[in-house]
Amino acid sequence: MEELSYKYFLASLSDELSAEKLCQLSAVAGSAREVYHMTEGQLKQIAFFTDAETEKLLARRKGWDLERKEAELHQKGICLVTREDEAYPEDLREIAQSPYGIFYKGRMTDPTKPTVAIVGARMCSEYGREAAGQAAMQLAAAGVQVVSGMAKGIDSAGHFGALRGGGTTFAVLGCGVDICYPPGSRILYEKIEAAGGILSEYPPGTPPIPMRFPMRNRIISGLSRIVIVAEAREKSGSLITADYALEQGKDIYAVPGRMTDVPSAGCNRLIKQGAGIFLSVEDFLRDLGIVMGKRGGQDIFSKNLLEKEETLVYSVLDLQPKNIEEIRQKTKLAVTAVMQSLITLQKKGMVREVFKNSYIRKNR
Amino acid sequence: MYSMVKTAIVCGIGSVEVLVEADVSDGMPVFHMVGFLGAEVKEAGERVRTALRNSGYVLPAKRITINLSPADLRKSGSGFDLPIALALLAALGVLPGEALEGLLVIGEIALNGRVQPVNGVLPMIADAAERGITKCIVAAENAPEAELVSGVTVYGVEELSEVIALLNGKKTIKQEKERRHADPVQGKASGGDFSDVSGQSFLKRACEVAVSGMHNLLMVGPPGSGKSMLAGRVPTILPDMSKEERMEVSKIYSVSGLLDHDNGLIGVRPFRSPHHTITPQALAGGGRYPKPGEISLAHNGVLFLDEMTEFKKETLEILRQPLEEKQVRLVRLGGTYTYPADFLLIGAMNPCNCGYYPDMNRCRCSVSSLERYREKLSQPLLDRMDLCVEAASLGYNELTGKEHGETSAVIRARVNAVHQIQRERFLGTDIRYNSQIPASMLEKYCSLDRMQKQYMKEVYEQLELTARTYHKLLKVARTLADMDGSMRIRMEHLNEAVCYRSLDKKFWERM
Repeated sequence: MEELSYKYFLASLSDELSAEKLCQLSAVAGSAREVYHMTEGQLKQIAFFTDAETEKLLARRKGWDLERKEAELHQKGICLVTREDEAYPEDLREIAQSPYGIFYKGRMTDPTKPTVAIVGARMCSEYGREAAGQAAMQLAAAGVQVVSGMAKGIDSAGHFGALRGGGTTFAVLGCGVDICYPPGSRILYEKIEAAGGILSEYPPGTPPIPMRFPMRNRIISGLSRIVIVAEAREKSGSLITADYALEQGKDIYAVPGRMTDVPSAGCNRLIKQGAGIFLSVEDFLRDLGIVMGKRGGQDIFSKNLLEKEETLVYSVLDLQPKNIEEIRQKTKLAVTAVMQSLITLQKKGMVREVFKNSYIRKNR
Repeated sequence: MYSMVKTAIVCGIGSVEVLVEADVSDGMPVFHMVGFLGAEVKEAGERVRTALRNSGYVLPAKRITINLSPADLRKSGSGFDLPIALALLAALGVLPGEALEGLLVIGEIALNGRVQPVNGVLPMIADAAERGITKCIVAAENAPEAELVSGVTVYGVEELSEVIALLNGKKTIKQEKERRHADPVQGKASGGDFSDVSGQSFLKRACEVAVSGMHNLLMVGPPGSGKSMLAGRVPTILPDMSKEERMEVSKIYSVSGLLDHDNGLIGVRPFRSPHHTITPQALAGGGRYPKPGEISLAHNGVLFLDEMTEFKKETLEILRQPLEEKQVRLVRLGGTYTYPADFLLIGAMNPCNCGYYPDMNRCRCSVSSLERYREKLSQPLLDRMDLCVEAASLGYNELTGKEHGETSAVIRARVNAVHQIQRERFLGTDIRYNSQIPASMLEKYCSLDRMQKQYMKEVYEQLELTARTYHKLLKVARTLADMDGSMRIRMEHLNEAVCYRSLDKKFWERM
């Protein structure tokens, strides 16, 4: 029997037993194969293993068909890397509650390349979304691997940005890697799998339950050298990732917001507590030790010659969505003229309609 | 002895003639009524006998038969009391039979002989006039309404004894000619003026476009942005109604018992704003004996649905067919009832549960609550909204600003002009407004040149628009061109129309 099938058995217990216990078990026994062949008596002799935990392991082993399970894994195109393997990321080995195994679809992160996590709130503002997307895009273009959690909002913006930048991106899920969560993000899921990998410590088929999502954050930060919090409210779940990153000794960067911006309150607090300030990608890459090549592309204005009114409309727009009525009041143009300019600007790709009749400036 | 009196019952907003026959003959003394009678018509017998006795006429101990024909039509309503009483009196020889010829009688009787008004007198008299009736007797309260029909002499009566005297030629009833409204003046819609609303010129512009081409309008915006305020003022910029339109509206209101007796034909376009707890029946019309619903009461006017996402889904779905057919057909055991329902639909809704999305500084919704909110929108109904605009949340400066803009009268003059253009363009077709142009005629009325087509193709790709919005967009562009007095649709009209395109569900997607 292949070694992998035993490892799969041990790694599959991650949905019921803590990562710590699994690692200890494999260390005590020597390998997953040994664990599988341990008798009930032997298991009960292990000091750190409670009877309840033994029961769980035995119950799992009872219904476990090594051959069939391994075939299933292959059939679904899922790979597994465990602490017993050389390919296991060194970064993960050192963190607290290091996972015993990582299931993945697509690829595993490349340890030779710098890895950065981009995390943030699901209910994000256009500012946060744009910041995460831009950062991810440029980082990916510079060869940085972008890790996030595939949630709506900032996470998705980060993944999409990295994909736009033509780089690799990895999503760490809180459910089995064969389950797309959130279910509406199917397209993103498939794109990430093709351009990078979908990762999870939980065995295939594990349903998404809220309890598991904070736990996967330790893997997100564990895999990365730096964690960028793009946008987080005062009590955001993204701050859990920041806490893990601190624990693991990683650097944290936060995208600053204005002091009145509720969606950025958590980020601003992180900065006050000493997190790095994410001002621009160039700046950030310098900290990372990567020198960016010359930026291609012309200035947006020299490429698209704008009419006077269009320039005026463009000038009052920023990353805070503005309604036609607000734009009209700021520009003092006729409402019909504002509409003309907005559509032309949208057509030129310089303005985006983020909600019905609400517009933001679009950076390219 | 036999006698016959003509009356009518309401069916939809038209009427059907009903003959009331009475026969008094020897035999077992009974009072018998036949002719597919509803419960309230069966009770008429008791009311009539008592009222006659109280007016001094005791029925003889004879076999009395009353028949309401046609016998296959179910009779309902309380307007049969007076015709039954008169037919009976004529059969008894109290009234001369010839006095009842060419006469239409409608009215309920109280036990003391008082004649009471009934609903739907206007459509009944109007139809009767077309059938050649020249005289009618109605309750005094119904007389002003009946007098709106030209060519019919109206006798408004208060007492049964008064009717008997009148038909015996012993009394003439003062026809209060002076009360008649020869041509009621166009009433001015009440409820404010467009200049009351400060700022919001984008919303005002959208309202004007909506009314100009009769395009349904959906307003999205945070609480307190003036959506309801503006919607309530839309009737003030609606164009005048023609005589026929006023008659149609008045008939509907007459059937519903909502006609104001003192003001003659309704001169102000209706504005109906039902609460969101309304039932499907109340909205579309219904009941065992159907009555017009809110959509018919809004005929030729505005139906405003505030907080549109709070309406029950099945209630809103009911609007789909009337919006296409401009009428609602209710089928009952007793027959099919058709009510006109050609209205301008204006909807208002918040962008999310808390009302502030996409302003993340104020919005307190979660991703899942946004998704639930999005599910409340009915796509088929969204597809029927030609215009969709977002209202901005007003700051203090704008609320108190001096920027009041044009008055309703100025806007209304422009709207009238655009309606005139449409009348001329669609002369000889079924189409009345730009919003009604069918897909097959778009090429004729909304043609674009090659450059514009290319431009629209690019805009579509760039803005990721869907094909189904394209037709609506063209119709709106047609209206915008008409407002500009332009024969051809120009680039700026297309651009503006793109701004009004319908709400896209992707705006709630938090990708």
